[in-house]
Amino acid sequence: MIFNPRNIKMWSTIGSRATFGVAALELVKEVDNLMILTCDVSTSAGLDRFRKTYPDKYLDLGIAEQNMIGVAAGLSSEGYNVITTTFAPFQTIRCCEQIKVNIGYMKQKVCMVGIGSGLALGTLGYTHCCIEDVGVLRSIPEINIISPADSFETVKALEAAVNSDKSTYIRLTGGSNNPIVYEKDYDFEIGKSIKLNDGEDITIFCTGSMVHNSLEAAKILENKKISVKVVNMHTIKPVDKKAIEEALSSKLIVSVEEHNIVGGLGSSIAEYNSLLKSSPKQLFLGIKDTYSKGGSYKFLLEKHRLTAEKIVDDILNEYI
Amino acid sequence: MDNKKKYQEIFTKSLSIDNSKFSDELKYNEIPEWDSIGHMTLVSELEEGFGITMETDDIIDFSSFKKGEEILSKYKIKF
Amino acid sequence: MKSKEIDVLKIKKFSLELRKNILEMAFSAGASSSHLGGALSIVEIVATLFSYKMKINKDPEWTERDRFILSKGHACLAYYAALCEIGYIKKSELTTFEKNDSNLLGHPIMNKKLGIDFSNGSLGMGLSLGIGVSISIQKKKKNNNVFVILGDGECNEGSVWEAAMAASHFKLNNLYAIIDNNSFQQTGSNKDIMNSENLKKKWESFGWDTVEIDGHDIDQLYEFFNKKNNLEKPIAIIAKTVKGKGFSFSENNNDWHHSVLTKKLYETALEELKSK
Repeated sequence: MIFNPRNIKMWSTIGSRATFGVAALELVKEVDNLMILTCDVSTSAGLDRFRKTYPDKYLDLGIAEQNMIGVAAGLSSEGYNVITTTFAPFQTIRCCEQIKVNIGYMKQKVCMVGIGSGLALGTLGYTHCCIEDVGVLRSIPEINIISPADSFETVKALEAAVNSDKSTYIRLTGGSNNPIVYEKDYDFEIGKSIKLNDGEDITIFCTGSMVHNSLEAAKILENKKISVKVVNMHTIKPVDKKAIEEALSSKLIVSVEEHNIVGGLGSSIAEYNSLLKSSPKQLFLGIKDTYSKGGSYKFLLEKHRLTAEKIVDDILNEYI
Repeated sequence: MDNKKKYQEIFTKSLSIDNSKFSDELKYNEIPEWDSIGHMTLVSELEEGFGITMETDDIIDFSSFKKGEEILSKYKIKF
Repeated sequence: MKSKEIDVLKIKKFSLELRKNILEMAFSAGASSSHLGGALSIVEIVATLFSYKMKINKDPEWTERDRFILSKGHACLAYYAALCEIGYIKKSELTTFEKNDSNLLGHPIMNKKLGIDFSNGSLGMGLSLGIGVSISIQKKKKNNNVFVILGDGECNEGSVWEAAMAASHFKLNNLYAIIDNNSFQQTGSNKDIMNSENLKKKWESFGWDTVEIDGHDIDQLYEFFNKKNNLEKPIAIIAKTVKGKGFSFSENNNDWHHSVLTKKLYETALEELKSK
């Protein structure tokens, strides 16, 4: 993959979903025996060109996610390097048991990509939003979970997942004109978080679309003379324990995710923190365990207090 | 460089087609290069090249090279 | 004796050995109990596949082997019994059935060295796996077959029909779905619990080349498996069977879906086998 400013800008404009489709066109040249399976979502996942150019490496299983996972596992057992994709709720919860049995229990290696996760499809209502995927999949052993911060990191995550021995769930958030977090090439390693900003007072652990918003929030807080460390936890499972330990000296830990505060990144951090002596208090920012009325992505981020300004407000309320 | 020439250059470069394949009658999905991925790349490069941000409706309406000219004029780009 | 008669006799003998092994395992499971009924109903089918139809050899991981998937995983007694008869599982290992840390639990656990290709047990998933394997075989241009055994109750699961639709869409003519139509599921008859009505019509309507066979008639099974599949369709066999087939106390008795084989019953069963 070529990480140059032109591509980075283009990927940002087209959003992480379409970036996945573009990346697939390169991955197929680098990876042996690649197969991409979808459930009637080729254009939505940016896979139209892939489908036409590599028809023998593409399988559309129709609107049948449970079958897709079984077929993926069957192909994987025969030596194929399989990626599956559809909209996040259907990629994860609809076929959850198949994921448990085929991918967790039998360890058939598959890379699952959940598109349009979080609130991006809010105008379609919560059947098409996904605020539960991380929480549900975290409790299935043998699956790494990654939520890339921007379109560039989406490519990095895909490369890493496809080359990994383990199965992965990649959760894609955000829409088109996906804000850029990474402007230059960098090292990406599954399980290793990335500190994007240093600070002593507060540590913000963020993931996916919330990385950009957290960085913006940190800038606002800096102006108020509060020094904030921002850590991109792109890998939610296995969570980076070292990064959590390094936050012990902060006065406050904040977890920010476009996901239910139950079960996701925040819960994962709290689980580890509770084992450590004198860990600071944690502020959980995310969707507060509710299905609100729908609306545009922008509207929903405001409503669930996940914009930079609202993140700042909530932190200031907590941090005295 | 005048805007017409600039538009054509960005058009052929972003869709990765050479001049022999270009015609101002080109329509979306008429050639394999101008599929949904090509379209997104085209829009992105036009935005970058002309310093504009296109509205969603305009991105969807952008169904041919000629229509593209019409749309760009909306953003005060004179041809 | 013609070769067909010899082959059929061999399959019958294999079936007898399967029932013996099943009894041993069920008895050693003791109070853990076992899914005896649904295992006994597939004995002749499993025997025909493992001793005659399937292309297999001494190596359970042979890349040129035909594949077998027990989608109705709770019938694993028949599966383990067959794997023992073909030498993949030692006879001594059979009595570890349902014991702590055993490789042989109440549903199959993937173990390639023992010839168990997939873990099964949650109903409705095996056919999808079969599709993945079947597509893979076709892509590699091999001529192997994939045999999936499903239960009739299992056909309640929507995921079975997702797979059924896909298999005919992809014209997987190396894929066999054998439905063990013993007419019962856990709580009662199919008719009472969830009426699957005419399974033959259903599979046919999903684009499968479908036949109905007496699942205990080895001659019929032998004749069927000798035919070549010339159509671009997967094959469904609705095997009419008897749950608990082979022993007087278990035949058509749904208590034997999952129950304890006492010493008394074990001895009764052994006697009945001797006379066969």
